Amino acid sequence: MTEQHGFSRRSVLGTLGVLGAAAATGALARPGRATAQALGMQETLDAGLKRVFGGRPIKDAGGLVKLDVPLIAENGAVVPVSVEVNSPMTPSNYVKHVYIVADKNRIPIVTRVAFAPEAGQAYMGANIRLGETTDVRAIVEQSDGTLLQAKREVKVTVGGCGG
Amino acid sequence: MSDIGKVRVRIPSSIKAGDVVRVRTLVIHPMERIERDAQGKIIDKKYNYITKVTVTYLGKTVVSFDTTQSVSENPFFSFAFKATDPGQLKVAFTDTAGGKYEGTADIKFS
Amino acid sequence: MRLAATGLRWVPALIIAAGCAVTGSAGPETSSAPTRAIPEARGEIRTLPDGTREALRYAGWPKTDFGRFRTYAYGDSRPEIAVQRGTMPAGATGDPKKGRALFTSRAKGPCTGCHLIPGDDVWPAGNAGPDLSTIADRRLTNEYLYQQIYDARVIFPQTAMPPWGASGAFTPAEIVDLVAFLQTLKGPRPPEKDPDRDPETRTKPVGFGDNLDPTNNPAVLLAEGAEAQWKARGPGGKACADCHAGGADAAMKGVAARYPKIVPRYGRVMSIEDFLSAHGPETTGTPLPMESEGNLNLTMLVKMASNGMPVTIDTDSPETRAALARGRAGFYRRVGERNHACADCHTPEKGANKFLGGRFLGDVTSGLTRHFPTWRTSQNQVWDIRKRMQWCMTPLGMNMLPADAVEYAEIELYLTSFDVGKPLNVPGIRH
Repeated sequence: MTEQHGFSRRSVLGTLGVLGAAAATGALARPGRATAQALGMQETLDAGLKRVFGGRPIKDAGGLVKLDVPLIAENGAVVPVSVEVNSPMTPSNYVKHVYIVADKNRIPIVTRVAFAPEAGQAYMGANIRLGETTDVRAIVEQSDGTLLQAKREVKVTVGGCGG
Repeated sequence: MSDIGKVRVRIPSSIKAGDVVRVRTLVIHPMERIERDAQGKIIDKKYNYITKVTVTYLGKTVVSFDTTQSVSENPFFSFAFKATDPGQLKVAFTDTAGGKYEGTADIKFS
Repeated sequence: MRLAATGLRWVPALIIAAGCAVTGSAGPETSSAPTRAIPEARGEIRTLPDGTREALRYAGWPKTDFGRFRTYAYGDSRPEIAVQRGTMPAGATGDPKKGRALFTSRAKGPCTGCHLIPGDDVWPAGNAGPDLSTIADRRLTNEYLYQQIYDARVIFPQTAMPPWGASGAFTPAEIVDLVAFLQTLKGPRPPEKDPDRDPETRTKPVGFGDNLDPTNNPAVLLAEGAEAQWKARGPGGKACADCHAGGADAAMKGVAARYPKIVPRYGRVMSIEDFLSAHGPETTGTPLPMESEGNLNLTMLVKMASNGMPVTIDTDSPETRAALARGRAGFYRRVGERNHACADCHTPEKGANKFLGGRFLGDVTSGLTRHFPTWRTSQNQVWDIRKRMQWCMTPLGMNMLPADAVEYAEIELYLTSFDVGKPLNVPGIRH
């Protein structure tokens, strides 16, 4: 669809432009960043997961990843999410990325957080938008490339007046 | 929205050397969402939203967020960093309209 | 009609702002007193070139004109919708499928806003009204169910159930379909897979955290901007700070705790918002119309100076008692297409502490005013209590009065009487 293609092109250029500017000012800590996957694309969940993770296996995190989301969100505009990963955060063993994914959002890959070991703790929090009741996932990428996932359903509620 | 780019950074009132410190931050920003016309077609225009949040401590990037229109308006972010030395913590935001905003916190040990 | 102070743009000639005109059953178009509110907040109705009437409301709000139905206006002497016995069309057989679609339609009620029915797709039903999941087991006649929907007041005179047929919200044919659907709801109840689906067992809302944390509540950051407003010189050459020395926090300490109150200079009950809209232009020359950003930010600034202090409004003087009585009458007054009073949702005897759809209804007796103005996360805006009132009545089918209408002010006075002794905590953060 022309509009979708045009939008994603703008989004990719925007993201790369930002990365390029950041690189020029030396704000990027690690050289690998400039090739990071673009975010902000409208796509299906499956297309997004495939695009970002290829076919790499994503294992259930068990107790290693604590994903905190409300059971019921009073509205889809502001939904608090936080993730804490049990990780030593040493240079040889740390969490590289946490992705927040909202399965049914038009832009399902909501945000990607990158960590240096100096963060001390693989912890993040953000307020996100949900279009409707959906599973919300935290996909964690370890420094050795392992992918772990925790997910919970968040019900988005509405009022009863019909207004 | 003349308050766009107003940033607030909050750190705990008492920090000891070596603590892993949690930081809260909020920035006033519309995080413009994709608009559709009555037929459901995407309206082609430049949307203004934050795409990057970079946290630097003592000049080094410790955490960064790549963000999208799926992040809330006036977005809140929180993260941790290991307070090894006194110095500056900076949170910098960049949006698609070229806007750059930042907030800082002075890390001191008590 | 007197326009508000300088700075307001002249509204287009299309708008008929007939403050006092009562055009037969169409009702008064605005409350009869002059208003100092922004155009979207005045409750104006305009007549378009093709003769249809539409309401001028805030951006994104419906434009429907509900002029047929009575309002809170003191000059509106129309009775509530007449109690009507409905007659079920003879030989009518309803379609249960159509009935279910009508029952869950947000364009109508939805009926699920108050009444639970079975179905995994029923989200979120409320329990402000009785659970209808097995209503067919009660073997009520079709005619009885028809009357309950058409106008339940025939059966229960004090009911909060809107008179859906008498108001014309549902046609007789639609009610026949609804009845047919209800008659299919026989027991046994399907087992509940998810306790949140049933409002009786649903998790209560947990709120949005610390309202005074500027990294949690954007309104706190916006209120800080009002400090600059406090010191800024208006067109008259003066700033608030010139008369109110020592900074807003010191100069205004304790002031907001006494509002709303009767302000002798203006001869009426006023909230801080009402007062600023008159006081600003008169002193500094700065227009501060109701519902403007300037008014809301300064109101937050003034109220924050009293945070933590108990609400201490006057409830004793004869004039205030009379205003409280009028406010209480307004709170219990049935208005709009749905023929609802505030009391129908917000008193413990009726809907309070129950769910209306997904919204947990507040209880007036617990005090509902001391966190206003509040940040609204669903709107990404600061709302004062007047805008909250204006919104509440819109889906219920009542044309709004101007934000600074004395009728709203006196209802607010009545509401605030339940906050007496409790600490101010502004700005709030809510859905």
